[in-house]
Amino acid sequence: MQRRIHHALGGDPWFVTGAGLGVFLLLLVLLGPCLAPHEPYDMSFIPLSPPSAGHWLGVNDGGMDIFSELLYGMRNTVEFGLAAGLVSLVLGVVIGLAAAWFGGVLDHVTMRLADILLAIPAVMILILIAALFRPSPLALALTLSIMLWPTTAKGIRAQALVVKNRLHIHAAGQMGASGAYIIVRHLLPELFPLYLIGFAAKARMAMFMEASLAFLGLFDPSRKSLGIMISYALKYYYLDIWWNWLLPPVFLLSLLIMTVTFLAISLEKVFDPRLKGAV
Amino acid sequence: MRRGRYIKPLPAFVLAGLIMVYASYRLPRLLPGDFVSALYASSPVTLTADQEAQIRAYYTRGEGFSRYLLNLFTLKWGYSYTFLAPISALILEALPWSLLLMGGAHVISMLFGFIAGVEAAWRRGGYVERAGVGCMTVLEGIPEIGTGVILLVVFALSLGWFPASGAETAYAAFSPLARVWDAAKHLALPLATLVLAYFPGNFLLTRGSMVMVLREQFVETARAKGLHPARVRYAHAARNALLPMVTRFGLRIAFMVTGALVVETIYAYPGLGTLLFNAISMRDVPLIQGIVLFSSLMVLFVNLALEYVYGWIDPRVGYAA
Repeated sequence: MQRRIHHALGGDPWFVTGAGLGVFLLLLVLLGPCLAPHEPYDMSFIPLSPPSAGHWLGVNDGGMDIFSELLYGMRNTVEFGLAAGLVSLVLGVVIGLAAAWFGGVLDHVTMRLADILLAIPAVMILILIAALFRPSPLALALTLSIMLWPTTAKGIRAQALVVKNRLHIHAAGQMGASGAYIIVRHLLPELFPLYLIGFAAKARMAMFMEASLAFLGLFDPSRKSLGIMISYALKYYYLDIWWNWLLPPVFLLSLLIMTVTFLAISLEKVFDPRLKGAV
Repeated sequence: MRRGRYIKPLPAFVLAGLIMVYASYRLPRLLPGDFVSALYASSPVTLTADQEAQIRAYYTRGEGFSRYLLNLFTLKWGYSYTFLAPISALILEALPWSLLLMGGAHVISMLFGFIAGVEAAWRRGGYVERAGVGCMTVLEGIPEIGTGVILLVVFALSLGWFPASGAETAYAAFSPLARVWDAAKHLALPLATLVLAYFPGNFLLTRGSMVMVLREQFVETARAKGLHPARVRYAHAARNALLPMVTRFGLRIAFMVTGALVVETIYAYPGLGTLLFNAISMRDVPLIQGIVLFSSLMVLFVNLALEYVYGWIDPRVGYAA
C-alpha cells in the first residue's frame, strides 16, 4: 500500500511540481525573517523610491522596504491557511469518525448540522464577524475552520462506514479489542489519504480567503499581508510602480495558491477511489 | 417518494437562513460598551449628535426577533449614514450589475466549460487535449486577484483598450445602442476575469466525469448501433457527465462569491461587492450587515434551487436519498 502510494504520487507531474514549489515556498516562509534585509515595520526610508541595491523592490508609500514586506506578508497568509486547514481537519476527523462509529442520534445531529453549515456562505460570516468584532487573524482562522469542517467530516464518515464493516475490523472486535483501540489502531490509519486531501483543500480555501479578505480591508491595516499590499499598490497605479510593487505580491500569491492547488488536485486524483482511472 | 424529494432539502436551508438572520440580529448586540462611538471613531464619517442617537436607538431598541424578521420582509433594513440613503435602496441599485456580471460569467463558463470538457474527454490522450488539461490546471490555481490585476494592468492601463473602472461612462448622453456598447466595454474585463476563474473548474470536472462515463457499456452500445459520434457524445454520454458540475457548484460557491467580491472591487464595478468594499472602508456597520445578510440569503436560495436541478437531472437521487 505504502509503496503504491509513493509510486503513484511520484509519477504524477502535478504532485512533483507542487511538492517542489511547496518546499521552496516553505523555505521562504521559515527563513523569511533571516532573508528579509530590513525590518518590515521600519518606516525610515524614502517613500516610493525605485529598486536599488539596498531595496531590491524599492520602498512603498509608507517608507517601508517592499521585499521585506513581501516575505512577512507571505508568512501571514501561509500561517492563516495552515492554521485553518489543520483545525478544520481535526474537527472534521473527530466529528466524522464519531458519527460513523456511534451512529444513531449523534450521527443524525452532526450530519444535519453539517448540511446547514454547508448551505451558509462562509465568507459572509467571516466578513460580518471581522467587521463587527475586529478579531485577531488567528481567531478569524478558527472561525473559518468552524465553517469548513463539514465536507471533511462527510468524506471521513462515508469512508469510515465502509471500513467499519470490513472483516478485519469485525475480527478485531471478536478478539476483544475495545472501540477506542479499533478506532486508533485501525480506522485512523486506514483513512490517512483522506486527511491529506482534506487538509490541502481547506488550506487552499483559507489562503485564498485570507488574501481576499485582506484585499477587501477586513484585517488590521498595518498587518503585513499580500492582499493588503496589492490593495495599497493599486491606489498608486498611475505611478511607475507596477514591476516592483504591484506585481510581486500578485505573482507570489498566485504561485502560493497554484502550489496548493496542484497538491490538492493530484492528491485527490491519486487517492479518491471514485476517480480511479479518470486521469 | 416524489413529493419527499421536494420537501427533504428544505429544513436545512430554512434553518440556515434563520441562523444567518439571527446572527445578524444578535451579533451587533453582543458588542460590549458604547460600541456606536467605538465603531464610528475610526470611520471617516462624522456623525452629528442626532444621527448618533438614531443609530444607537436602532441597535439598542428592544425589538424582538420576530419584529426584526418582519422588518426584513418589508425592506426596512436601516439607513446608511455614509451614503445618506436607505440600505434597501443601495442594495437594490447595486444588485442588477452584480447579477449581470456573475450571471454572465456563470452562463459562459458553464456552457463552454461543459462543451470543452466533453470534447476533451472524447479526444483523450492527444497532444492538444493534454496541453489543454495542463493549461486549465494552472489557471485553476491562479486566484481572481492575480488574473484581475494582470488583466487590468495589461488591457486597461497599458494598452488602454478597455476602461479601468465603473460600469458606464459617467454623464455621457449616449443613444440606447451606444449605451449598450459602452456598458459591454466596461463589462469585458471583469467578466473575462471571472470566466477565467470559473471555466477551468467546469472544464476539469466535466472532463473527469465524462472519461468515466465513456467507459460505460451503454456508450459502447450506442456506438455499436452506428449512431453519429456527436449524438453518442451529447445525447447519450454527456447527459450523465453533467451531474458533478451541478453537485460541486454548491461547494465551489464560497470560492466564487469571494472571487466576485474581489473582482468587482479591482474594477470598481458598481455591484454588491464594491458597495461592500466601500461600506467596509467607511466602517458603515449597518450597511455591511445588510449586504452580508442579503447576499447570504441569495446564495442559500441558489443552493436550494440547485438541489432541485440535481434531482431533475438525475432522478435516481430522489429515490436513493
